Amino acid sequence: MIDIGLVVSMVIMVTVPAVFVRPWPASAVVAGVLDTTLGALVIGLAVGRFAALAIDDAGSLTNFRDVLIVRSGVEFWPGAVAGLAWLAFRAHRDGVSASVRLAALAPAGLIAWSFFEATCLLRDGCPGPVSAIGIRPDGLVTRMFPVGLGVAVAAAASAFALDRLHRCGLRDAYVVILAIGAVAAIRSVASIWLPHIGSGLTRQHKSSVAVLFASSVAMLVAARISRERTTPAVEVEVE
Amino acid sequence: MTETGSTARPAPRARTKLLTLAALVALVVYAVTRPSAAGVFEPSGPPIALPAAGALTELSADAFEGVLVGLHGKPVIVNVWASWCSPCRTETPLLERTWKAHKNDVVILGVGSKDVPSNLVGFMNEFGVSYPNVFDGSGEIRARLGLRGFPTTYVFGADGRLRTTIVGGLTEQRLAAVLEDLRA
Repeated sequence: MIDIGLVVSMVIMVTVPAVFVRPWPASAVVAGVLDTTLGALVIGLAVGRFAALAIDDAGSLTNFRDVLIVRSGVEFWPGAVAGLAWLAFRAHRDGVSASVRLAALAPAGLIAWSFFEATCLLRDGCPGPVSAIGIRPDGLVTRMFPVGLGVAVAAAASAFALDRLHRCGLRDAYVVILAIGAVAAIRSVASIWLPHIGSGLTRQHKSSVAVLFASSVAMLVAARISRERTTPAVEVEVE
Repeated sequence: MTETGSTARPAPRARTKLLTLAALVALVVYAVTRPSAAGVFEPSGPPIALPAAGALTELSADAFEGVLVGLHGKPVIVNVWASWCSPCRTETPLLERTWKAHKNDVVILGVGSKDVPSNLVGFMNEFGVSYPNVFDGSGEIRARLGLRGFPTTYVFGADGRLRTTIVGGLTEQRLAAVLEDLRA
């Protein structure tokens, strides 16, 4: 059975950044956003799906039909890492620096994620905590705060801020690390409000906090390396 | 005033954007206006005791309705599944966790259908299912529920009325939201 809401979400997620977002600098993405990112999307989905099955239901890994049911769960971070690795590999093959291309595509990636989350309305994926100002999910009588819409707004704001910073001269490596950190931070905060079964942190919450920590460390290391490179060497004159 | 060709028609890139926007709006309208999966099934008949937890008990459609009538006063989540159904493999551990965490507030009742008992029992053993399950050998239960596809989850309120129908696999977020709604 095809999940129409999910299909429409995916189409919007792919189409909007490809048509409406211009990467900067344009020379970093010669073939266009769609051509450059489609392979990463497919590989990310496949790796994310395999990771979800390996963790939750390893017995299904040998059943091709079970693997294909993407609706049954895709592990976000393994998929994201695989997609980024594919983009870096493609950049290398095209003779473009991986950090230049990833930085050029970072706002488009965040916009894609923003639109995927915003379309939670189409697939009953919005519910958050019970709230008087929320929306009423299909079939339920209780109003719930639409966490997905909050995530969409935060992701779009991050895309806009990163694009501005990049155009103002922020280095490519910083743009990439900040983009990953922004996604991890948004997912970590959103996970606090997402309804879940039982007590304790969900896997999504734990993995997002771990990535947020890793990206913070990466940012510090990158800043330190950059400072060491720009500090002039002190010459000692010996008489 | 003469219109030049370049001002009369939008540039190719602008035209692409307009067409894309129109297509996306059409898609969203279709997705939003598609019919809701809410059902009209209303159980009736003499009340019957809930089958033993963790076992697979064959029931007729009338007996199944009797079980639901007997559970009036407590919310019930009925999950129709089969061993060959891929999304069932994902949602069964979720249902098991829900049963373990909320068995005092909510009843989870599985309906194994369009399958053979040995495969259904094998599936239950594989996932350590401990909530009650009935076997719909004749297919009457799924017909009476108006099943459209596997898996489907029917949520009944404490008043015994069908509140919502979820066609397709359950996500943790959706199931937890349903539980919140039942508690409200």
